[in-house]
Amino acid sequence: MRWHKRLLAAGAVAVVAFTSACGGGKVRGTEDSPQPGTSQSAADATFVYVPNLDVVTDWDPASSYSNEIIAMENVYESLTRYNPQTKKAEPRLATSWTSTPDGKQWTFTLRPGVTFHTGKPLDAAAAKASIERTMKVGQGAAYIWGAVDKIEAKDATTLVFTLKYPTALDLVASAGYASYIYDTTAATGDLAKWFNEGHDAGSGPYTIDSWQKGQETELTLKKFDGYWGGWSGAHYSKISYRVTPELTTAWQLLQRGEVSFVQRLNSQLFQQASGTANVQTSQTPSFQNLLALFNTESGPLKDVKLRQAVQKAIDYDGLVAALKGAGVQASGLVPDGLLGFTPGQAPKQDLPGAEALLKEAGYGPGGKPLDLTLTYAQGDSDQEVLVTLLTSALDKLNVKLTAKPLQWTTQWDQGKSKDTSKRQDIFIMYWYPDYADAYSWFVNVFRSADPISFNLSYMKNDGIDKEIDKLPELTAIDKAGAEAAYADLQSKIIGQEAAVAVPYVQNYQRAFAKSVQGYVDNPAYPNVVFVYDLKPGA
Amino acid sequence: MLRYLTRRLGQAVLVVAGVVILTFVIMRLVPGDPAVAYAGPRASPAELAAARARFGLNDSLPVQLWSYVRDLLGGDWGTSLHTRRPVRDDLFQAFPASLELVGAALVVAIVVGIPLGIAAARYKGKLPDLSIRISSMLAVSVPVFWLALALQTLFASGLGWFPVAGEYDANLDATSPLHVYTNITAVDALFTGNWPILGSTLAHLVLPALVIAAYPAGVIAQMTRAALIEESSRDHARLERALGFGETAVLTRFALRPALNPVLSLIALVFAYSIVNGFLVEAVFNWPGLGRYAADSIRSLDTPAIAGVTLLVAILYVVANLAVDLVQGVIDPRVRSR
Amino acid sequence: MTVSGPAGAPTLQPQLRRTALRGLAGMDRLATVGAVLLALIVLAALLAPLIAPYPDDGGSATHPLEALLPPSGAHWFGTDQVGRDVLSRVLYGARTSLLIAVAVLVIAGVVGVVLGVVAGYAGGWVRDVIMRVTDVFLAFPALLLSLALAVVLQPSVTTVIVAIAVTWWPWYARLTASVAASVSTRGFVDSARCLGVPAPVIVFRHVLPNSLTPVLVQLSLDGGGVILTAAALSYLGLGAHEPTSEWGLMVQQGQSLFTTDWWVVTCPGVAILITAFAFNVLGEGLRARLAR
Repeated sequence: MRWHKRLLAAGAVAVVAFTSACGGGKVRGTEDSPQPGTSQSAADATFVYVPNLDVVTDWDPASSYSNEIIAMENVYESLTRYNPQTKKAEPRLATSWTSTPDGKQWTFTLRPGVTFHTGKPLDAAAAKASIERTMKVGQGAAYIWGAVDKIEAKDATTLVFTLKYPTALDLVASAGYASYIYDTTAATGDLAKWFNEGHDAGSGPYTIDSWQKGQETELTLKKFDGYWGGWSGAHYSKISYRVTPELTTAWQLLQRGEVSFVQRLNSQLFQQASGTANVQTSQTPSFQNLLALFNTESGPLKDVKLRQAVQKAIDYDGLVAALKGAGVQASGLVPDGLLGFTPGQAPKQDLPGAEALLKEAGYGPGGKPLDLTLTYAQGDSDQEVLVTLLTSALDKLNVKLTAKPLQWTTQWDQGKSKDTSKRQDIFIMYWYPDYADAYSWFVNVFRSADPISFNLSYMKNDGIDKEIDKLPELTAIDKAGAEAAYADLQSKIIGQEAAVAVPYVQNYQRAFAKSVQGYVDNPAYPNVVFVYDLKPGA
Repeated sequence: MLRYLTRRLGQAVLVVAGVVILTFVIMRLVPGDPAVAYAGPRASPAELAAARARFGLNDSLPVQLWSYVRDLLGGDWGTSLHTRRPVRDDLFQAFPASLELVGAALVVAIVVGIPLGIAAARYKGKLPDLSIRISSMLAVSVPVFWLALALQTLFASGLGWFPVAGEYDANLDATSPLHVYTNITAVDALFTGNWPILGSTLAHLVLPALVIAAYPAGVIAQMTRAALIEESSRDHARLERALGFGETAVLTRFALRPALNPVLSLIALVFAYSIVNGFLVEAVFNWPGLGRYAADSIRSLDTPAIAGVTLLVAILYVVANLAVDLVQGVIDPRVRSR
Repeated sequence: MTVSGPAGAPTLQPQLRRTALRGLAGMDRLATVGAVLLALIVLAALLAPLIAPYPDDGGSATHPLEALLPPSGAHWFGTDQVGRDVLSRVLYGARTSLLIAVAVLVIAGVVGVVLGVVAGYAGGWVRDVIMRVTDVFLAFPALLLSLALAVVLQPSVTTVIVAIAVTWWPWYARLTASVAASVSTRGFVDSARCLGVPAPVIVFRHVLPNSLTPVLVQLSLDGGGVILTAAALSYLGLGAHEPTSEWGLMVQQGQSLFTTDWWVVTCPGVAILITAFAFNVLGEGLRARLAR
């Protein structure tokens, strides 16, 4: 008996010794060693943001094109910022700008006395260097600078762009991606590598404090003392991003006052949040819509009739009803509020029509069985409702839809795979514009592309490509012409080609602590909270 | 004893070798190209080739297996595709958190299970026995993920008695930073006298530990009851009763000690099982342990990380089994000859 | 006492098992309850199309306009995210769960018994090899290995069956081997051998039938463990998918609704609990009776 106990105890000690092998008295939560003298005062408020997915996939401001926007916009700044109320670009790093009447030359006057977190001054030369690097890297949203022919730094605060064709460059400069101004001289070696080790070279109000991928508190940002806006008045001095995949958990954390802001709830929880005392909510129509992209290149959906049949099988009204406010009916590809929106085009479910189309192709009830595959985002309950409705509706039409929930990178890699047999028949994803302009839907998603990036319907249509290429110039010089071109493109892509269905446009439903003052959702920067603009309250 | 020891150790080493091979085989079956996953979607062909070379994906399978084994022995468990850190470091961070949770759960299971087992044996066939048997059966039959959701909703969200999720209040990192030695938060906090974090950790532990404790508590109660009933029907118990000892005294004074032997072995064995069962609970309570790490790895098809978790738990299991066998070899020499 | 089954993962030494068994001999009343419960569940599964109030909801029907209605006379268990009757889906879910349990136990039982009998009869290095292989598989807690396998294979009911069966067979192999080894030393086997009966015939005609009882008892005990593991895999998104009714999947899809619409998660959760409970109680009683 004694022996027995002793052996077990020895085992336990061995296990503890094994686990402690990497110890060493490090301090958790900070990269630096603790400074006992500088204890935190109560006034140092931390803004705790709860996303449901990992925050950072790419730290390089040139190529970043994913969820990290929620951190990047607090660390980096662009020349301008879009205001959804006025629908205009507003000063940010640039204080004013002018363009020549033909729209082909733009002159930006930069804010004087701005420094990067690296300590170097942010002048016109630095801005030129960073935009040029972004263009050269040519990834992510770098296409937004496509019109730029050359950039000159006339003096420290004057930046001149010469364009190949007219474009609303003040809007382009407000983009959520690829528009950041950063210190290109921050590292001596490989800059992209340096960024992705968790460094930043921005000019924004916050800078990276600690970053540990895979941890619950993945990222913390701390205030940059030399920020040009200054730190007088009440501001949050820290931001921490606490990844919480489970919506209920996120909601409970907020309810208990442990966190400040929840990016996304489901509609049921959102309703509950609206009636909760210490919580505020905001609901904003967004520029983010869901796309169901059909494989036009290979597999059974190569047949346009079958694509139209699937379009008709979607229960659009039922979906919006089941979402209970988290989504609204879409009308065309472009959401309301952007140039190119086509009202009165809301699609309807039409099962007899779908059945007739299937029958024409030899499928449908009594015909050949049809097997389709669909991929969507894991853990997105709204997409799950769509998938359940579509799977069930198609099941009645003798179509077996196999839907796979995947992590985004896996879903995307599969969609891009060179082997066409590995690709899915239907690809579900959200799309939102990179700046407040509908062009992004067309150039990224429906213009032919090789290799495949976001053209996940694999459409290749020269006529449509040419029309898309004309959009930026038309938008700058001929609004009516642009409206007409957008309408025409949408009828071709959704109607004629049936390359896509748009199940709904999202409503952003945010819930945040009562103590957060001054929050306004800016749908041009999806899910971003500009924390510097907020006041921590009681 | 020495011969038994060497034979048993030899067996364990063989099993671990098999575990390594099986893990390797499963991981080679994972769909998706680990090189693509590591190099990222925008990688150039050159970067992709470099990643392939780095993971040795161009070699033949036996060569890959050999280099895998060599790396493991050298302490290199690969690099996680998701966190971009060495898997070993990730495991060193995640495993202590799981250990803390499962350790707490086992303490609860013992404190609850053994007295319940005694009570059931004492009132064998009566109402307390029946109700304890029913509840212990329910405890081993409940789906843990559902129990986790239910307790979280009821006690954390509804009544507000306990925190909702996480290991401790992260804001405390700023006010009372924790010096990490063992990576087991509660232990570190205790030994460095960091009371705020200790208190917060204990409060956060309650609900997930209770959920994980359900299964071992049920099993321990059943085992204690059975072993006690067996002991108390032996000759010595009859003698003790004849000497005038009451039923309770017979059970607790004389039958309990020998009856606890099988129960102690059982505890070592349910340990590894509870670690895996805890995976489902960690996901609900956002506990930063192996389960959360495994879930993240699965969602991003992070082959080296999945392999690391699988290996670690399997080895732990082999070690626990070995320990139990050796202990029993010491107590009961007959075991050695089998 | 699921302890010694794969659900309980830990191997108990045989003498420990025996101890546990004798103590549990009085389980009969509970075992009867288990048998009745299980009979009801099997009946519900078989008759689901007849007794479900909205049989179509167990399959591909949707009524999004009636989403998330609380329990009422029309929907005893309320409706889910797309307006399906939860009661109907729970009833149809019983079919999926029982199908998985039966399939796993049959596959794992057959594989385990065959390997076990061969090992037990042959002895020597054959036995050693087979036993070492089972040791390797037993070193992975069932859920862990199933999890790794389910990631590799495409998520489906078949995947769940295969993944669990792979982790379950070694238990039966081990159990059968030890029984078969003792059966093989008995007189009638020796006589058969002397008469020149070929080894395969001896194994399958003589050794196998005499080694089956303990495995059959163990199988009856493991249904609950299989159902819990299958539900866990589906909960993790590695198992059944829409529009199949499956309890683990229902909990997973409804979990973010627990605080607002409790019935969506609670009903399938309780269904898993009751089924596993019925299996465990019945299996335990059965084993206790046979051990006497």
